[in-house]
Amino acid sequence: MSVDPQDDPAVRRAQADRLSAVWASPKGLFLRWTDTNNNRVGAWYVITAFAFFLFAGALALLMRAQLAMPDNDLVGPSTFNQLFTLHGSMMMFLFAVPMFEATAMLLLPQLLAARDLPFPRLSAFGYWSFLIGGVFVAGSIFFGAAPDGGWFMYPPLTTEPEQSGIGADIWMLGLSFIEVSSIAAAVELIVGVLKCRPPGMRLNLMPLYAWYILVVAVMILFAFPPLIAGDILFELERLLDWPFFDAARGGDPLLWQHLFWIFGHPEVYIVFLPSIAIFAMVVPTFAQRHMLGYAWIVLAAVGTGFLSFGLWVHHMFTTGLPGISLAFFSAASEAVAIPTAVQIFVFIATLWAGRVVWSTPLLYAAGSLAIFTLGGLTGVMVAIAPFDWQAHDSYFVVAHLHYVLIGGTVLPLIGGLYYYWPLLTRRKLSDRLGKIAFWLMFAGANIAFFPMHFSGLLGMPRRVYSYPEALGVGGLNLASTIGAYLFAAGMAVIVLDLVWPRSHPPVVRNLWNAGTLEWLAETDDTNWGVRSVPIVLSRYPLWDDPDFLRKVDEGRFYLPDAEEGKRETLVTSVIDAVPIQVLRLAGPSIIPLATAVALGGVFILTTFHLYLAATISGIVTLALILFWLWTGTGLQPEKPEKHVGLGLSLPLYISGSRSAGWWAMFITMMGDATAWASLVFGYFFYWTIHPVFPPAAAPGLAGPGVFWPMAAMALILAGWIGTIAARELYARGVVLAARLTLVAATLLSLAGGLASLAGPWLHGLDPARHVYPAIVWVLASWVSAHVAAGIIMQLYCLAGSFAGRLTPQYDGDLRNITVYQHFLALSAAITFPVIGLFPEVAR
Amino acid sequence: MLAGGMAIAALLIYLSVMLIAAHVGRRRRGRIDHHTGMRFILWAGAIGPTILLLVLLLTALPMMRPIEAGARDLAIDVSGEQYWWRVRYRPPGGPAVDAANEIRLPAGRPVLFNLSSPDVLHSFWIPGLAGKMDMIPGRTNRLVIRATRPGRYRGACAEFCGRSHALMRFTVVVMEAQAFDRWLVKQAAPSPAALAQSDARALFRDYGCAGCHAIQPDAIGRRSIGPDLGHVGGRGSIAAGVLPNEEAAIAGFIRHPERTKPGIAMPSFDFMPEADARAIAAWLRSLE
Amino acid sequence: MIGKLHARAQQLRATLWTMIVPPSAWAAHFLACYLLAAITCAKLGRTAPVDRTHLIVGGFTLLALLVIAASAFIAWAQRRIEGDPPPHDDSTDEDRLRFLATATLMLAALSAVAVIYVAASALFFEDCR
Repeated sequence: MSVDPQDDPAVRRAQADRLSAVWASPKGLFLRWTDTNNNRVGAWYVITAFAFFLFAGALALLMRAQLAMPDNDLVGPSTFNQLFTLHGSMMMFLFAVPMFEATAMLLLPQLLAARDLPFPRLSAFGYWSFLIGGVFVAGSIFFGAAPDGGWFMYPPLTTEPEQSGIGADIWMLGLSFIEVSSIAAAVELIVGVLKCRPPGMRLNLMPLYAWYILVVAVMILFAFPPLIAGDILFELERLLDWPFFDAARGGDPLLWQHLFWIFGHPEVYIVFLPSIAIFAMVVPTFAQRHMLGYAWIVLAAVGTGFLSFGLWVHHMFTTGLPGISLAFFSAASEAVAIPTAVQIFVFIATLWAGRVVWSTPLLYAAGSLAIFTLGGLTGVMVAIAPFDWQAHDSYFVVAHLHYVLIGGTVLPLIGGLYYYWPLLTRRKLSDRLGKIAFWLMFAGANIAFFPMHFSGLLGMPRRVYSYPEALGVGGLNLASTIGAYLFAAGMAVIVLDLVWPRSHPPVVRNLWNAGTLEWLAETDDTNWGVRSVPIVLSRYPLWDDPDFLRKVDEGRFYLPDAEEGKRETLVTSVIDAVPIQVLRLAGPSIIPLATAVALGGVFILTTFHLYLAATISGIVTLALILFWLWTGTGLQPEKPEKHVGLGLSLPLYISGSRSAGWWAMFITMMGDATAWASLVFGYFFYWTIHPVFPPAAAPGLAGPGVFWPMAAMALILAGWIGTIAARELYARGVVLAARLTLVAATLLSLAGGLASLAGPWLHGLDPARHVYPAIVWVLASWVSAHVAAGIIMQLYCLAGSFAGRLTPQYDGDLRNITVYQHFLALSAAITFPVIGLFPEVAR
Repeated sequence: MLAGGMAIAALLIYLSVMLIAAHVGRRRRGRIDHHTGMRFILWAGAIGPTILLLVLLLTALPMMRPIEAGARDLAIDVSGEQYWWRVRYRPPGGPAVDAANEIRLPAGRPVLFNLSSPDVLHSFWIPGLAGKMDMIPGRTNRLVIRATRPGRYRGACAEFCGRSHALMRFTVVVMEAQAFDRWLVKQAAPSPAALAQSDARALFRDYGCAGCHAIQPDAIGRRSIGPDLGHVGGRGSIAAGVLPNEEAAIAGFIRHPERTKPGIAMPSFDFMPEADARAIAAWLRSLE
Repeated sequence: MIGKLHARAQQLRATLWTMIVPPSAWAAHFLACYLLAAITCAKLGRTAPVDRTHLIVGGFTLLALLVIAASAFIAWAQRRIEGDPPPHDDSTDEDRLRFLATATLMLAALSAVAVIYVAASALFFEDCR
């Protein structure tokens, strides 16, 4: 047997020093903000989201103070409407979703024994976007300019400038900005779960947390784009008077409701599943056994992910849709309760089969179960349409959703906080304070929200700033107010526990004796994540292999060193986690922050109608993104392969469908295609509600004709084929022909993008007159804008080819833009027949 | 009945889950093995809920079928407007009758509501009589209600509609059918006080009140911009269920409507002398 | 015949994509039923009878259940590996295949239930009211 170099402590120490140096955080007042490491960025993310949570909670306390008595006049209706709009919007967009992304960013690499997520700078960019957008939206209330149309922003109340001030724009643009960053995070997390698992961790061994994150990130990818499409239509109506939701000009307010709730209902599960995911880690630890029914949890997560997209109309049961349509959604809303029940019983069964160790995190788990189950049962009730006709938009629903979200999101997160705090800070939070806080919050939540079931059934509508004494709900509301303040007191105890200075020594590693990889985290300040990337052969390696920890720490697995002084992590195959690449990760950089500031400028300046400045900001953003890509991605390594330990040698560069970048492009385009599909849905939605659609020809209302749309389609498809041809030629080393083909493809795309706009332009379609020209313009512009982005990519690859960064061996960029072109071709092949040919058929 | 049944079932399910959980949390010995645990998940988590939910669904779906109203039933057009209710009774074979903010119904007969809105979304809700139905610009939604017991019921706007959403209420008075028929005939004729010349009537015109508020039928104005006041004296409250129908309240509302209803379309008449406001108020109250 | 199919099924590849075939069938079924009903009712009015819709929904349902059943059959075949005692949670090809097959089978059951829920609810309506 040969001598393992890892046997030598001196070798190990030298390796550890090199790793430390490579992964060291930048220091200094300014430089520290250029950090991109998931530990640091994740911590900022968590703290920011928690701060927004406290802020949004304080808004709720003001509301409860106003509602404590009938006919109270503590705050007027104008303030009150801003309060509830901001409370709901912030809890959803600035707390629940970002908190999921933040915790996933912190925990996931650790759970997968990856050194970081595959795109650290993208994470940092997402964080800065979130911070800027969040402060912009939340801060508006100090200027009395907060959005006041409800978190659902139903038009026409919110689209008419006289009815709603700048608040609506702040909501739309500020939160759109954050939605973009959420999608970025989703891409990051999906690629992280699929491609950055440790060797041996096949799909059947993935930690349940990772399964949940995978499902939720995919849900974000399909749920947020419809809202973004809705936001686009919404802002076009507000800024340019295109009448998408104006009934007088052929629009329909219901389209917004559809798009909003196609987002809004999956959103509920997007914020619920990641918190339950924490329990999937906590429960086995405190049952001291493997999770019983691993496959059941996977079933439940995936099943919920799917079914949650078939529920959106249950928010629209009272809009007068046909009964048969409502029944479909009622049925799906009942069905989604099945996977939810499965999860609850899996947790109970695991504890039943294990040896229960009572602890503060487990207390929170039990409390969550008690609260969430009640919310789930009232959820089954409101899914029944005849009952919902009474309960809808009344305080009953307020009670239901708070039971679900407090039991399903907030308390699990607090439980997770008590569970993972030692992992993050090497200190343990106080069990005593944790229990006091728990009982305050548990009692508070029930005292606040249980009476609301009755206030609602007695006839108290939601979103009222005042109610008459004669309604007879004064006592119930007073109880709700007292409960809310009790809950807040519990939260204050938690905050106290968090900031309380601690003098006791650091806790031991893996304090709770858990079995999963995140507890490999070392107790001294190491940023590298894991000392070496282990081979994982079971679901709970820390329990199943007593030597596991030692072997990881002694660097006996992969990548124990950073010889070249570069940040690295392993990329493995999707299903069986076979190592296929050493991925060089980007280090600290100011670019993500700068790009977020510039992109934030676009959204914020547009809010104030400063279009010139917004355009400049947009150009700066584009320049920064190009600079970011050129200097930080697709870099050629100094050698093709490197040894990673255990006799394995892996390439430093791969391209095509095995690489992380290809997956990121593919996933991003899935989201993009969903937004586009939502706009096409809008076109056909208008067709269904109008007896004659497209409307009879009149000046400004004619269609785009047949010729130009068909020409645009042909040209864009030709550009797509040209790009594919260029990729193939390049791969075969025929560089000159490839370049020429790519130039031709670029020109064809350009012509296609112009032809797409020529149809509506030359036929004089006036988008402000009627919804038909407006939706045609939107569809054509959507494709043209994507062509423009495609042209930038094609030119980028040409430039790369001339600069020598794109070679037949290192052709990742070209392969990635081909993926983009596939989606562009798909959208062109459907959009142009829709706007060009469908009118001929419909007439 | 549906609600009660569901509530009892939900309570029973809730208690059983909690009992099992408490049992699991407390037990020290007698852990279940892998096989039993999987069986437990299968039955309690999957098969049980599947059957229960299917039963619930099949029980509830038939209840979705709306009550029908025929061509010979009373129809009432209600339009939700910021922040009040425009009401028009369309009795079969009789003249249409305009009213606002209070709806009277005949007990025991189905009544068809045609619900619409000219401005933003509203939702028509009488908790004691029926579920809610949204009022959506560009659409007309139908809701059929058959009230059984005479009495007064509260109504409210249930869809957030702007600043005074909370103050958009109304009253529903369910009357014995014959009494209702007599009442509606009376409403179709002008109130005597509306026709008689009086100082207060002149003030109502001179201050421009009539520019928005018609006194229907056949007295002053035609299509009302604001609530029709033809028989306002007979209503239980004013300002869409917010103020009592009393002289002082009406006079105060005329002079400072914004104080009662933020965001209201009606301009404030704070320059109007109190005496004039009182006179108009008294006259309005006489329009039975 | 069955035995042959069984053997063939065992050799098919199981991936994340094959795992989501049953719920995707549910999604397609759901969307098809909803769009059908929505378009029928929007174009023909509230009193339009939906008996033809029932037939088409029935067809969609059969199709969806067929896809789900096929997927379930393959998964069921892949789950059965001779002489391999539980627990099946090792990092081996067999256990990974068995896991994907089990998850697929369970998703097929859930999807079938959800498809039946949706299809059953259509039967309670005679027209678009």
